Amino acid sequence: MKILVCIKQVPDSEGVLSISNSGKGTEFEGTYRMNHFDEFALEEALRIRENMPVESIDAVSVGPARIESTIRKALEMGASRGIHIITEGEDHISPLETATRIASFAGEGGYDLILAGVMAEDDMQSQVGPMIAEMLGYPSASSVICEEIDPEKGILYAEREIESGVRECLEMKLPALLTIQSGINRPRYPALSNVLRARAQEITVLVAHPGAKPEKREEIVTFRYPETTSKGLFLEGDKKEKARELIHILHEKSII
Amino acid sequence: MNEIVKKKQIVVIAEHRQGNITPVTGETLSLARELGRILDLETTIIIPGISMENQASHTAGTTGMNVIGIKGEGLELYNCEAYLEALTGLLKTADLHYIILPHTAMGYDLAPRLAVRLKASCITAVEQLSGKGESVTFLRSQWNGKIILEVALLTERKVVTVLPGSWPALDEKPEKPGQVTIIPFESFTKHSKTTGIKEAGRTEFDLTKADVIVAAGRGLRKEENLPVIYELSGIFPKSAVGASRAACDAGWFDYGRQIGITGKTVSPKLYIACGISGSTQHIAGMKGSQMVVAINTDPAASIFGIADYCIVEDLTTFIPCLLEEYGIFSRRQDSE
Ligand SMILES: Cc1cc2nc3c(=O)[nH]c(=O)nc-3n(C[C@H](O)[C@H](O)[C@H](O)COP(=O)(O)OP(=O)(O)OC[C@H]3O[C@@H](n4cnc5c(N)ncnc54)[C@H](O)[C@@H]3O)c2cc1C
Ligand SMILES: Nc1ncnc2c1ncn2[C@@H]1O[C@H](COP(=O)(O)O)[C@@H](O)[C@H]1O
Repeated sequence: MKILVCIKQVPDSEGVLSISNSGKGTEFEGTYRMNHFDEFALEEALRIRENMPVESIDAVSVGPARIESTIRKALEMGASRGIHIITEGEDHISPLETATRIASFAGEGGYDLILAGVMAEDDMQSQVGPMIAEMLGYPSASSVICEEIDPEKGILYAEREIESGVRECLEMKLPALLTIQSGINRPRYPALSNVLRARAQEITVLVAHPGAKPEKREEIVTFRYPETTSKGLFLEGDKKEKARELIHILHEKSII
Repeated sequence: MNEIVKKKQIVVIAEHRQGNITPVTGETLSLARELGRILDLETTIIIPGISMENQASHTAGTTGMNVIGIKGEGLELYNCEAYLEALTGLLKTADLHYIILPHTAMGYDLAPRLAVRLKASCITAVEQLSGKGESVTFLRSQWNGKIILEVALLTERKVVTVLPGSWPALDEKPEKPGQVTIIPFESFTKHSKTTGIKEAGRTEFDLTKADVIVAAGRGLRKEENLPVIYELSGIFPKSAVGASRAACDAGWFDYGRQIGITGKTVSPKLYIACGISGSTQHIAGMKGSQMVVAINTDPAASIFGIADYCIVEDLTTFIPCLLEEYGIFSRRQDSE
């Protein structure tokens, strides 16, 4: 069994995100980290390996040089190999392009199972996983919250979370692709031994071929801040003053 | 097939559950109608299923739009592979413009694959439309609503998913019902099969009956901070503690307390969001609250966009201060 996990580096929400002066892109000041949903996907792969023979768990990511730290984090968590499909600059990469890059790599790899996150926290598109599956002709299921593999039969049993607490159950033939929903497991903290191993480990770098870039199908016309339709009142003062004001408001409204 | 889906159309893929078209499909139809008016396009609704005749004629009656039922084994429950097969057979050769789906577990599962297969552009979780003459652009959020993107779709065929809650349900009194066509479908799917639907079976907390909900998010930072949330909830009669999905994932709360699109929908008199960023998926579950107070360290957090009272503070120090001030307040009340 060979598993591929797609991981994306995203800006941490504690940093400061702003629209660049040109209005054609965003700028970010702060730290980057692994997309939370991908941590769940990687953890799921590690748990599969604890239950059955798995030849390798490869972690792949598409993006500029800075994403190396996130690929290393995947090695620290326990991935066998890191693959960096390197792109130039900070330009927005479309889901189609990301999927094309990953699919052309994965197509050669003979993976039995590909895992991705259900959504990237920055772009929130939920497109890349199913697109890869379509390009490779794999069956897929998104928002998976529970899975079990029968390696002998080559069958995967999955439950996907649909709206309001209901799950859809399916059976799929391997090779298959799942996008993982948060809560399927509890991602581990890297063990020190893995951190040390990962530090010395080589990451496979593949240069994204400019010629293999799919034609642009969507164009971002503008990036803008949401219109502040907020009717909200920002309470002023120090903690104490804000606390008193809130109590006053709740009292006036007969809540306390 | 070209005869059935006529020239340059909008096609909406209807979602149904237990024999009923879902309310979000109605919202999706509203976007289709708005788009259709701008671009002068007709909308056809496609219902894949096994026995959709009644639904189909009902829908044709209430919307005035043409309805196509694709009828066959393997379509009674949603299955990506079967749906793809059923739809591409019909859509591949049709000269159509837009394929629109709700951004639900069906929509975001199916849309990206459909787009790749039909060589279409794809935009998901659309919240607004901007139409100037013949050119139309779509608005969607990034980063939990901190940034809005305006996107133009460049290809002839376009796949769009609609964020639930962004449009009102279609409400029309058509002069005459749309035309209904049922076409048989034989599935050849081999790789995947939907075997059933089940309830998640979570511990139930009575969130829906509470007057006040104090909800915590990832901003709680660690388990040791849990008591302040329960203490804050404790000062209100008929109150309950809720949580964001991220806070449940961290193991701080049972999933039965999760509020949002994949959790509970609540509409209390007061909702206090503590350390919750305000993702669209969370807001979908609490936007019916009569009054919202948000406590967050980030003044740009999207939750402030829907809050009535906004408090930019660290919850781990602010809530203890609030509890202390409340103590002083209630002692004063008692002595009066
Ligand atoms: C298909 C799907 C379904 C989903 N369904 C749901 C759902 O039903 N419900 C749901 O909630 N989510 C759902 N999500 C997840 C959702 O996208 C978000 O990831 C989640 O809501 C984020 O939770 P959060 O606001 O607690 O965390 P974050 O987004 O990480 O926000 C934490 C916030 O806390 C603030 N903060 C940090 N420290 C402090 C402090 N000390 N004091 C005060 N504030 C602080 C930060 O500024 C930040 O705004 C779903 C996602 C998907 C893909
Ligand atoms: N640049 C990338 N590199 C690797 N995987 C990615 C990348 N972008 C997205 N993914 C994967 O696709 C999932 C969904 O992303 P998205 O479609 O952008 O919401 C993520 O959770 C990742 O698993």
